Amino acid sequence: MYLAFASSAFQTQLAYRGQVWASLFGSAVHVFAWIAIWMSVYQDTASVDGVTLPQMVTYALIGGPVLTAWQWRRLLNLVGNSVTSGDVAIYLLKPLRYPLYLFATECGNLFYRLAVTGLPVLVIVALVYGMLPPASLFHGLLFIAFWALSFVIMFLIAALCGLLAFWLLTAFSLEWLLQGILMLLSGTHIPLWFFPDAVAAIIKLLPVAWVGYHPIAVYLGKTSVTETLIYLGLGLGWALLLAAAVSALWRRAALRITVQGG
Amino acid sequence: MSTIIEARAVSKRFRQHRRFPGLRGAIRTLFTAEYSEVAAVTDVSYAISQGEAVGYLGPNGAGKSTMIKMLTGILVPTSGAVSVLGRTPHRERMTNAREIGVVFGQRSQLWWDLPVRDSFELHRRIYGIADARFTANLDYLSDLLDLGPFLDRAVRQLSLGQRMRAEIVMALLHDPKILFLDEPTIGLDVVAKDAVRRFLTRVNRERGTTIILTTHDLQDIEQICPRLIMVDQSRLIFDGDLRNLRATLGSRRRLTLEFGADPGSLTLRTALLTADEGLRKHYLLEREDISLVDVLTELGNGYDLKDIAFEEPNIEEVIRTFYQGRDAARAAG
Amino acid sequence: MRNAIRVIPFLVRLYVKSRLEYRGAFLLAISAQFFSYACGYAAIWILLQKFETLGGWDWPELALLFSFQLLAYSMGAALSFVQFRDLEELVRLGTFDTLLVKPFSPWAYLAFSGLNIGYAGHIALAAGLMVWSVLQVGIDWSLGSALYLLAALISAALVNAALITMIGASAFIFVQSSHLYTIFFGFWELSRYPLNIFPAGLQWLMITFVPLGFASFVPVAHLLGKDIPVLSDLGGLAAPLAGPLLVLVAMAHWKYAISRYQGGGG
Repeated sequence: MYLAFASSAFQTQLAYRGQVWASLFGSAVHVFAWIAIWMSVYQDTASVDGVTLPQMVTYALIGGPVLTAWQWRRLLNLVGNSVTSGDVAIYLLKPLRYPLYLFATECGNLFYRLAVTGLPVLVIVALVYGMLPPASLFHGLLFIAFWALSFVIMFLIAALCGLLAFWLLTAFSLEWLLQGILMLLSGTHIPLWFFPDAVAAIIKLLPVAWVGYHPIAVYLGKTSVTETLIYLGLGLGWALLLAAAVSALWRRAALRITVQGG
Repeated sequence: MSTIIEARAVSKRFRQHRRFPGLRGAIRTLFTAEYSEVAAVTDVSYAISQGEAVGYLGPNGAGKSTMIKMLTGILVPTSGAVSVLGRTPHRERMTNAREIGVVFGQRSQLWWDLPVRDSFELHRRIYGIADARFTANLDYLSDLLDLGPFLDRAVRQLSLGQRMRAEIVMALLHDPKILFLDEPTIGLDVVAKDAVRRFLTRVNRERGTTIILTTHDLQDIEQICPRLIMVDQSRLIFDGDLRNLRATLGSRRRLTLEFGADPGSLTLRTALLTADEGLRKHYLLEREDISLVDVLTELGNGYDLKDIAFEEPNIEEVIRTFYQGRDAARAAG
Repeated sequence: MRNAIRVIPFLVRLYVKSRLEYRGAFLLAISAQFFSYACGYAAIWILLQKFETLGGWDWPELALLFSFQLLAYSMGAALSFVQFRDLEELVRLGTFDTLLVKPFSPWAYLAFSGLNIGYAGHIALAAGLMVWSVLQVGIDWSLGSALYLLAALISAALVNAALITMIGASAFIFVQSSHLYTIFFGFWELSRYPLNIFPAGLQWLMITFVPLGFASFVPVAHLLGKDIPVLSDLGGLAAPLAGPLLVLVAMAHWKYAISRYQGGGG
């Protein structure tokens, strides 16, 4: 059943072709801007802190089209609005678990976005600027694991924020707050190794770091085998914690809606 | 009576970009320059005098809204001419706007989150209404429609009926010469509908405001507008007195005779027997030239007649008959 | 005209009143947006701790560029973005007709009935950052350069407002304008950075067909004495003129778009 939801989401998206072209453009422009930034700062140096330009270009390519392909904003607003308006009550009547239903749907959306926006932009920009392969087979394989984990954690964070909108009565502000946090701390734009050491050490342990920084660091081989496995474990821990939080918040919200009518 | 609105052979055609279905069709749509033309109004002519109350009636897609849009300056006719208060509405949009009031049944002009009074104040400024005139109008109109209790309440807290009453009052605050209403009673409950109808009739009679009203609800026209313009499939099919419509189409009046003792099977020449319930018998008078008196004369006084009920047909039936007659003519011809 | 003076301030008052009905959400919103943009700038600041300059611009100079761009955008967008983005829906639902039956300019009504005070967060951040950077940056400020900054800022705001209005007005012609906005914001993001880090083709584009270059890089580069691609010294003169010129274009476009709405279209 949930597979059907994922497939349906994929097909629905395909119907909005104007949006497709527009988001292709948006995604391309964004990654392009950051590659231009890296190329500019690396003009006079070959390597900074052991990081080279080709590595940073690859960093921007993965951080952009690949890891930010999925639109967390849509989910946040979807959950936020349906919960505040009480529309979500419809789902309480159906024989399914709402969070699971959302996850299945968003998986469908993820594949759609990767296929239609992420991969095309990645391929085109990579052809122009060059992209490095994974540092090793081990790193390559584990990157895939981290990639999946990145999506799961991003999904959970977005869902959590959407549910918080129920009590704060606004999804709009949460969206902007999360956007700021992701911009600075997720490592999708600025790698954590350019932060001051003390600060970086803390950020590396926050769940947002698994959205961008850790997957890319693994891909580029910046982490040793042991480190990689440790971070994988920690990431899974965070995922479980966030899942529990989402589940708990959802139950409380559902209870409020059924008892008080939203 | 001076002509205040005139339509001369007005037509309005819309060009619609042809759309093709499916994904391949979507790409084809981007590259094709094919258009299909939709005629919303075709060759419509009429003249309305100052002080009249006219009902504009027709099924969905007949061209009612399009006509109102041309009269209020929103749309430009494809051909023909429209003249309102001696001007071409779309060419002198602002000047025209000052002298008309428009109420859209399904599109509100009130500010959702603010008290009704605030929207009225904005209206006063936009139309440049003098303070004394404004207060006088506001008091008079809101009294008539009983707005007092909720003038200071936010629009979002009002019921549909209350909101519509406020919209209509607002449209009259600047003493417009003509009031256009596009489906004003849609969605209202019976009480609210009645209040609106009585109010509009009164405004028309007391202030001489010309009223143009589009509607699906035939009761609106029956109560407010002595004159009816009927459109269907972009053309004008009837323009005249409501009573004439009944006369033109022939009126099928219903007669119920109640007897003290069962007279048995009673068929008459002057009326058609539709139902026989023993003591009560129902008849239909189809011919316009036959009156109740004729039927009773035929009946004579040999029967124990206890009671008579006589009904004029209502407007729904009249119009339905009109369409049926027309469809029958089309099928035959 | 007389009408406008009586109506416009009242329109703005009504809108502000309706926004402040939801005071909590409003304050939260402007704070969240302040935070988000601050994070974006902080990211570049961190970058510059490691790399010192971006395209030859140091942090104070970049701060001036960022704050100028954001301030100009906020002022222009307050008068245009939400109002004309939502025009698409007004047209679709037919609500726009209610504006055409009033003896008032539909454009003015739209723009001022939604004069978006929600940009207060953006403006606070941009103004603060600009004050700091103006003092830090290596410019010998004079009355002339201060006036130039002001003129260029107003012109830049007009550039933003004109472009946003024109995109919104396309709703009268194509019915859908949201995709064009996505494209606009793509370029807008690029205009945040010094144009010289981009390929020549894009630099040229940002000074011609997508005049957003005039809303940030060109005037600030002129003040800082940096090279301006394509225009070089003419750039300094062009920046304060670009806004008013685009406004004229936007006005003509608006007239045309409304005539399309009234003439054809469903």
